[in-house]
Amino acid sequence: MPGFDFSNYNRNLALHAQGVPLPKATSTGTTIVGCIYDGGVVIAADTRATAGPIVADKNCEKLHYIAPQIWCAGAGTAADTEFTTALISSQLELHALSTGRKPRVVTCMTMLKQHLFRYQGHIGAYLVVAGCDPTGTHLFTVHAHGSTDKLPYVTMGSGSLAAMSVFESQWKPDLNEEEAIKLASNAILAGVWNDLGSGSNVDVAVITKDKTTLKRNYITPNEKSAKLQSYRFPKGTTAVLNEKIIKKDDIGRYVSVQEVPVEGGDKMEVDA
Amino acid sequence: MTSIGTGYDLLNSIFSPDGRNFQVEYAVKAVENGGTSIGIRAKDGVVLAVEKIIGSKLLKPGANKRIATVDEHAGVVYSGMVPDGRHFVDRARDEAQSWRQTLKTPIPTSELASRMGSYLQAYTMYGSVRPFGITAIVGGVDGSGDEVIDGVVGSGPSTGAGGKVDGKHGGPFLYVIEPSGQYWGYYGAATGKGRQAAKAELEKLDLAAGNITLEQAVKEAAKIIYNAHKDNKDKDFELEMSWISGVDGPTGGRHMEVPQELKEEAERLARAEDESDDEEDEKKDEKMEE
Amino acid sequence: MAYGRSAGVLNADGIHVDMQALKAGEVDLGTTIMAVTFKDGVILGADSRTTTGPVIANRVTDKLTMIDDNIWCCRSGSAADTQAVADIVKRHLDQHAVHHGERATTGQAASILAEICYANKDMLSAGLLVAGWHPRYGGEVYQVPLGGSLHKEPWAISGSGSTYIRALCYRNWRENMEEKEAIQYVKESVREAIRNDGSSGGVIRLAVLTARGVERWLFTPDDDYSKPTDDKPQKM
Repeated sequence: MPGFDFSNYNRNLALHAQGVPLPKATSTGTTIVGCIYDGGVVIAADTRATAGPIVADKNCEKLHYIAPQIWCAGAGTAADTEFTTALISSQLELHALSTGRKPRVVTCMTMLKQHLFRYQGHIGAYLVVAGCDPTGTHLFTVHAHGSTDKLPYVTMGSGSLAAMSVFESQWKPDLNEEEAIKLASNAILAGVWNDLGSGSNVDVAVITKDKTTLKRNYITPNEKSAKLQSYRFPKGTTAVLNEKIIKKDDIGRYVSVQEVPVEGGDKMEVDA
Repeated sequence: MTSIGTGYDLLNSIFSPDGRNFQVEYAVKAVENGGTSIGIRAKDGVVLAVEKIIGSKLLKPGANKRIATVDEHAGVVYSGMVPDGRHFVDRARDEAQSWRQTLKTPIPTSELASRMGSYLQAYTMYGSVRPFGITAIVGGVDGSGDEVIDGVVGSGPSTGAGGKVDGKHGGPFLYVIEPSGQYWGYYGAATGKGRQAAKAELEKLDLAAGNITLEQAVKEAAKIIYNAHKDNKDKDFELEMSWISGVDGPTGGRHMEVPQELKEEAERLARAEDESDDEEDEKKDEKMEE
Repeated sequence: MAYGRSAGVLNADGIHVDMQALKAGEVDLGTTIMAVTFKDGVILGADSRTTTGPVIANRVTDKLTMIDDNIWCCRSGSAADTQAVADIVKRHLDQHAVHHGERATTGQAASILAEICYANKDMLSAGLLVAGWHPRYGGEVYQVPLGGSLHKEPWAISGSGSTYIRALCYRNWRENMEEKEAIQYVKESVREAIRNDGSSGGVIRLAVLTARGVERWLFTPDDDYSKPTDDKPQKM
């Protein structure tokens, strides 16, 4: 039958009428946080990626580069956070080049929110945007539908409540860098231990007006321990029941072998 | 004309070496041959008037209007090529509506003039088009701001909004837009064949002082059109006049034709002046003979 | 449309009807907002709770958004939608000021906003109040509810919490209140809404717009919103 086939549309309607939900895209159950301190901002994330009930990656990277002094922590659909931050990073770099100025965090936040709003939530990127620019230190959250918030400390992802409990009980104004890193990584640990969707290690990025320090696997509380026993079996563990040896000369019985003449004495170039 | 044969007058998009756009200058020539139109900005309103040359005795008197209403509060009169003027009016009405659409208020006269100026200017830059063969006079009375916003439900507090600062707002405005797209605001404006005579008369009124009332302005306008027609006596003409007052004036803030009664009175006065001028001329002639 | 959530109800004509305006996972301003005129201008007031389903996404949100120097709006409904609309109106008003050499009037700002809300009503869940002070018009309040219509009011309330305080607001409202009385009126009304509405809460934010410009006040639940956090208002 030529033309389009719309039978699946009717099938979907029927399934839907029976209460069957739409299939879900891969989503990273995540804990991400951010916290402003005296002289900079710190963001942190766990490193677990999930595909439904399966841990897809035990040590993935959820801190995304936007600009040297602007970084993003991402939750939601893994592909969407990855590509959205890459896209905005590229646009922001071109913008910085054409204006001859350092990119600003508000600019990044505005570009992200306008991009996400245009896609009406279909791009499932939930982001913590942090950075330093000539106007100061900034920290924002951007939700998939395009709404933004500006706060001194933020959490997002499935572990956001666990992480927020740490901030709400321990955060104080005028933190120093060390305290801020400690607080942010503790907030992530709260997610790692108490949220099913979060786990493995803690990544931290510290941004000041002078430099950005990415502390990959700053805390690794889930190292695989050494196996108590050796699982290498000695030769002969499996009994040989019979043996048949095929010699090289006999191989022609199974495959056809052809000699290739070497041309001009040179060896064939395999890869230029 | 120096431009003929040089080739610099064939396209809008080509300057002559001394920096002129001949197409625009030819458009001005078209205006200079059209029936005289004038506008007066009085202290409490605006009057528009035009000398409508009667091309045929078979035309119905009073029909074929030359002054157009653009929005409730604004009108346009023009000299030059009438079809161009009609298109100008169409566009002006679109602009007025688009302003109302988003802002829900009447378009300010200055904004109308600005938009139409931009529109005419765009017809001076491309080889594929010719400039408008008209000079338009745009008159309007801007609201004081107390009018209700279109389509709003409710009226706010009955005692009025708190914290108002008093001052003058709105009022009558008059603009002239030329084929080049250039536009200026005026107290009195004249264009077309009899513009020189008309301008001379307008200057005598000292409109900037703000002493002339709207009704006086109507009468002056009639006189000026009659006077300007004197150099063109071989052709018949019809006077067309419109006016706009403030909300509390005779037109209630609307652009409309001057009522029959007032117009006849104004024309009677204009004719009387005309005749007395003629008598004076005759006396002078007699003296010369002596 | 949120298929998963709404148990898949089909209409007789086979069209799915989703009565819930918000999309799944969308950030909502379950809200109490209000704006009132008083003797010298207008006052805007709002709670500060932003929710995503059962979770409070932000407990100190500023729902009072500046769209022009002396024109502000209160946002309720989808956070994304109202922020986007407010940003667009702000751009229009900035452009207006550059083009005309003077700031737009509150009525003009409100009609631009209403026009956007009406043109995109199928895609937006935004209930907004516009309040502003303009030397010519004084303080004015306009309401732009869900469909994008435009209403001029002496005072207006909106958001989920407003239903609880409507009668209270009618009872206490007086024309031409003094500034102190008006601040008290707004603050007490929002406080009552917070007490009764689960989706409203956090702090109470006020913005007072008069010939002096804008002045911000903040009330916190620490003392049951009885006194402002500072003796003097914050400019901007």
